[in-house]
Amino acid sequence: MVERKEIEHLGDLVKVDLSEPEKYIKQVEQILNYFDRLDKVEFPSDDTLRTQITTDGLRDDVYEPYGDSLIGHLKKDQNNFIRAPKMV
Amino acid sequence: MNLGISAVEFVSQAKEGVISVEEFVAKTLDRIKKVDEKIHAFITVDAQNALDKARTIDKKIKSKEKIGSCFGMPLSIKDNICTEGIKTTCASKMLENFVAPYDATVISRLKLEDAIIIGKANLDEFAMGSTTEFSYFGPTRNPWNLEYVPGGSSGGSGASVAAYECLASLGSDTGGSVRSPASFCSVVGLKPTYGLISRYGLVSYANSIEQVGPIAKTVEDVAFLLNIISGHDPHDNTTANNGYVDYVQDLKHGISGKKIGIISQMIGEGVDKEVASATNTAISKLQNLGAECIPISLDAIEHSVAAYYTIASAEASSNLARYDNLRYGFDFGIEGYEFKAFVSKARSNFGPEVTRRMLLGAFVLSAGYYGKYYLKAQKVRAMIKAQLDEAFKKVDYLISPTMPILPFKVGEKIDDPLKLYLTDINTITANLSGIPAISVPFSMSSSGLPIGIQLFANSFKEKELLQAAHVLQETSNLPEISL
Repeated sequence: MVERKEIEHLGDLVKVDLSEPEKYIKQVEQILNYFDRLDKVEFPSDDTLRTQITTDGLRDDVYEPYGDSLIGHLKKDQNNFIRAPKMV
Repeated sequence: MNLGISAVEFVSQAKEGVISVEEFVAKTLDRIKKVDEKIHAFITVDAQNALDKARTIDKKIKSKEKIGSCFGMPLSIKDNICTEGIKTTCASKMLENFVAPYDATVISRLKLEDAIIIGKANLDEFAMGSTTEFSYFGPTRNPWNLEYVPGGSSGGSGASVAAYECLASLGSDTGGSVRSPASFCSVVGLKPTYGLISRYGLVSYANSIEQVGPIAKTVEDVAFLLNIISGHDPHDNTTANNGYVDYVQDLKHGISGKKIGIISQMIGEGVDKEVASATNTAISKLQNLGAECIPISLDAIEHSVAAYYTIASAEASSNLARYDNLRYGFDFGIEGYEFKAFVSKARSNFGPEVTRRMLLGAFVLSAGYYGKYYLKAQKVRAMIKAQLDEAFKKVDYLISPTMPILPFKVGEKIDDPLKLYLTDINTITANLSGIPAISVPFSMSSSGLPIGIQLFANSFKEKELLQAAHVLQETSNLPEISL
């Protein structure tokens, strides 16, 4: 059973204000019940899908400054600082 | 002027001077003005830049200057692929006014070949959905019947191609998002092998399964676009460095002597009768043309929807954490907010499906549940890949209906997410395993709704896949759209 407080907790984890958490209860519960069928799978092995890539192809470790256009997209104040709300 | 020509026909007519690029682009813009009020395939139309570019290309053609192979063909681009100078909204309120500072690699490659981006196509918010109903800007409608969904999440791409609002489009396919609208709108859509096309500039949703894919009127057009957009990209380390392949050359190679496996799990229970019958017709036509068809059972598919939505939601919840209203986003001041309250308020602007998937993702990854869901989903993925590897030892291709059901009415399933998830059963196998798959328009239902057939091949066998798709395309005789 999924309860309101669980949905609120998940909302807290993903940092979303849920105005109507109850709207999600039934659907999330239904979907999780469906996911539970994974419990019944008999796996022939413990393998998971992995892809190995070589690191030969990495670019040279040289400084490439961001263009002005990129900085221009940030939300800045008149002193060119990015303002964020207080953390504590 | 016929806007219904293929992209390849357009190139040859523009090259020979039979049509003017400016006139074609202007007519296409007129068409958008006329029909898009009803279809709503576009979020943004970049009319002025498209016309300016077309004029420049016409001048180049007249003065016999070197021109890129697209000759100014107007394309629509799914609005989760970054385009410098044009908004990339992901159909979300969170990115309503976001203009990317750079072009995605697929876009810069198309621009180098003188393609024209005529506009950005509608999608389910952040590509999460199968019907294009979850767009913040409102749903796209199926051009074959406006009461029906066009499929999704690249519904704007599929509908714009079907309705002659562009010559071709790029979509992205995380669980069928290119092939579903291709099937529902009667156009061709390819989900390439994971790593064939760069994802640089594709807004991330589920990185380990998504790929950009072309949507076009014909298999030739898809091959033509694939030649341009595929290949290694230093900006995306997951792209393979396999050397250049010409997908257009030998496209008409045929299918004689090839073996095709009919996936039992995709054509049995739960498949619409008309869809099943069309698939059987397609199989007999391929047999008549020299292919040998045998049934193949891939029982891991039974677990694929649960595995897919576990993985996709997990990756989504992690990827979407970046929308904190500081680097991207929605504009309101920080005054009076503590950090978390500020971020959480901004993020309440995500739509219902995106929020649902983030909640599910957080749940399946949380302590105590990781082993129960996410790890098992990853094991299912390995199981599917192992079964496919076995299958491809016996056959060259696999076949199934692209969608198990016919297009349905707008609003019909929107309140039942699980029902919607289950419609992805035939497409997600290719995403979980990384193999390529293509949807080819094959027939029409008795009520005039499109039915597409899906072909799969082994990883990086796009050339062979397109050859088989071409054979299938040539066996069908489909009506012209009236709109």
